Amino acid sequence: MSAPLSLVDIIWRVTTAAELALLATLIWRKANNSFPFFTAYLASVLLQSVGMFFVYQQTNWNGARVWNIAWGTQAGVTVMRSLALVELTRKILARYAGIWALARVLILCVGICVVAYALAFSRGHSQWVTLNLVRGLELAMAAVIVTVLLFARYYRLPIGSLPRGVAVGLCLYSVFYVIDYSLLEKGLVRHMEIWNFLSVLTFLASLLLWLAAFYLYPVREQAATPANISPEAYGKLSSEVNLRLYLLNRQINQILNSGERRP
Amino acid sequence: MTHAMVMFFFLALAVVLIGLLFWATRPPKLVPHPVEDIFELLSQQRHCLRLSFIQRALQPEDTEFLGETGNRGLMRGIRAERRRIALHYLDDLQQEFETLLEISRAMAVMAPEVVAVEEMERWKLSLAFAMNCTLLRWRLYLRLRPVSGFISISSMATGMVRHLEAATASITENALGAGDFSELDLNERDND
Repeated sequence: MSAPLSLVDIIWRVTTAAELALLATLIWRKANNSFPFFTAYLASVLLQSVGMFFVYQQTNWNGARVWNIAWGTQAGVTVMRSLALVELTRKILARYAGIWALARVLILCVGICVVAYALAFSRGHSQWVTLNLVRGLELAMAAVIVTVLLFARYYRLPIGSLPRGVAVGLCLYSVFYVIDYSLLEKGLVRHMEIWNFLSVLTFLASLLLWLAAFYLYPVREQAATPANISPEAYGKLSSEVNLRLYLLNRQINQILNSGERRP
Repeated sequence: MTHAMVMFFFLALAVVLIGLLFWATRPPKLVPHPVEDIFELLSQQRHCLRLSFIQRALQPEDTEFLGETGNRGLMRGIRAERRRIALHYLDDLQQEFETLLEISRAMAVMAPEVVAVEEMERWKLSLAFAMNCTLLRWRLYLRLRPVSGFISISSMATGMVRHLEAATASITENALGAGDFSELDLNERDND
């Protein structure tokens, strides 16, 4: 008679099923062409799940070996997620040449600063280096997504429902990963079961969010194109703006100067 | 550093990120203006032109003679009315500043190159403007003399205009030097 499944086992199986469903939806909706890195990331997650299933079957392997494999593959998946994030960022901002050029620098700075912050406040023991690096990357990814969304909001850039859903899913997963890890860091080994459960649960939530987004929203949304005018019209517009602002500036200065002269 | 402090740093940052995420994903307050609307926005009347009248109306000396001649009630009434008008004016001024920001955003979206320093300064200006507006509003509510605040705000508007002027000059330069804008758009569609 087989042993009853634990809650972690059940949620692990549900998550793997959700991963498969999402991958199938991506291919069915032909979204893998529009989101190749996101699809690759999802495939890497699936591979990791399958790989870890076989690793955990090896009862003669010692704990340290399993630990290294688990966290090594997690680092690989995190790198894949970073690439998916770059793809998403390009999708949202790259259409706007000027803003994209500015955003790239800012996003890079935010990413580096957050990773540095995360590593500076992490434990120094070599065993924790990979874990802390992964947490740092997760935190950086969440910060980058928030920066991109804030950027888009500030400049009133339209974001399609699908990229928005993908961004929110990625960000929530990264943030909750950091929260889970930070809360259980001290007793991570002791509370490994709880940590695994929370980690898989938050990932499942993101998977369901992505599944809904890829199922409900059109993959090729009518992109709101940026101002598409000829250089002549553009020059005329700019001159008009310039002249109006110049006159306004002069008038304000006149009012200020006259105010100062008043006894 | 203790474990509790480290945990606090990470949790605090995570909570801030969640808050910002939800704030950033709210539907935008204003709809973006089409390019042709920018001309319309620029042709709107500028409220800051009335700045000197408002400044003068808020000077206590302007109504002091009423108190001296025994009409204190009338003096208070006129001052209250002038404060009310000043508050309306402040609303209009804030709206005008927002419009200028909208124009600058619209230009940044169209621009093939955006100058980071100018964008940052504009952002700082808008923050300072919002803070000063709030401060000034409270000073008016509390019946304090707000003239210095008005001068500070109008200086910011002037600074803002200077930034916009520099930005438009740069955009014009780039627009005249660059190729057809429609190319960028078509390439993007091809990539999709």
